[in-house]
Amino acid sequence: MTQTPNAGIVVRLKKTWETKIMSEQKLGNPAVVGLAGFGLTTLVLQFHNVGWMPSIGPVVWLGLFFGGLAQMIAGLQEMKTGNNFGYCAFTSYGTFWISLCFILLGNKYDLFKAGTEDVGWFLIAWTLFSIILWIGSLRIHGAMAFTFTTLVIGFILLDLAHFGYPGLTVVAGYELMICAFAAWYMMARIILNEIYGREVLPAGKPWVS
Amino acid sequence: MRKTMLGFAGLALILSVTPAWVGAADSAATPDEVIAKVHEAVQYLKDKGLAGFSDFNNNKDARWVWKDSYVFVYSCRDNVMIAHPLRPDMVGKPILQMKDDKDHFLFQDMCKSGANTDGGWVEYWWPKPGEAKASRKISYVHSAEVSFKPDIQVGSGIYDDKMSVEELNKLATQAKQPKKDAP
Repeated sequence: MTQTPNAGIVVRLKKTWETKIMSEQKLGNPAVVGLAGFGLTTLVLQFHNVGWMPSIGPVVWLGLFFGGLAQMIAGLQEMKTGNNFGYCAFTSYGTFWISLCFILLGNKYDLFKAGTEDVGWFLIAWTLFSIILWIGSLRIHGAMAFTFTTLVIGFILLDLAHFGYPGLTVVAGYELMICAFAAWYMMARIILNEIYGREVLPAGKPWVS
Repeated sequence: MRKTMLGFAGLALILSVTPAWVGAADSAATPDEVIAKVHEAVQYLKDKGLAGFSDFNNNKDARWVWKDSYVFVYSCRDNVMIAHPLRPDMVGKPILQMKDDKDHFLFQDMCKSGANTDGGWVEYWWPKPGEAKASRKISYVHSAEVSFKPDIQVGSGIYDDKMSVEELNKLATQAKQPKKDAP
């Protein structure tokens, strides 16, 4: 078959059409991965904190990869969606897990050892940081406000656990399980509402308007 | 010459006595040593966190094993022996249902005393290292703060037939006193 004289135009048109499709193509929401990693790693740490899982080993490896690397990358991807809250929260909590795991590994190999109170100060800084995001979360929606409220309470309980009330680790454990499930609820919302094409799981009204 | 002879005699005397004296001291740990070791272990775990547990199972450097005593680590809430330098078979096993030769739930007593601010002494029957028959043992137990691990206790004991738990408790409180009074 011979080529038509206007083959060049067809190719050019095809290219424009492809570019148009690509730019209009729906983007995934990085929050689904961020929330998944945040929730799952938080949950597994609480399995340890409440005493169900004796070793902290799974927390270290999950914290480095799912809660850490994956959540951090999701956070970096949030930048392109223009969502500063997600950008800051996921990137920061991703690196929180990576740092926490390296603190645990460092103690194991006598590298910049961090004692109980040192970890306590680390957690206090994260508590203060989380309070800022918590204020923001109140204006996003109910599910976000609930997740961050439980997160801040959990951090405060862990702070106290590192400064003289070790028993509160268990209370923080159960409390932060609620936080982890709340994060998963938000993840489930984004995924299920899209797949089912209707609002299966509501977000809830913002606590502050 | 006579002086040298005397010197040699003196030296010989010292040399002959020293091993016997060291031997005697080697045999039994004192309450003060036990208290100091337990406090050292509590501080060590506070500094090193979860990663410090395995060091108590390591009998090589003998930091946690001396004379006829040793330091063990356990969790009452998790009902588990975390570290025991001389009995690796007990590590990871439940402790609360364990009975001594007089049918006492020894770890239930330890968990109670260890929960006190200054820790406490507990009397039970336990074999000396290398022996099969149980002797009267009194152990000092104290709680330790460890990141992400609530309710850790550390213990160490002496084998003695006379000392009472009351006088030992007084000793333990005194041992903590200077630290509290320091500016």
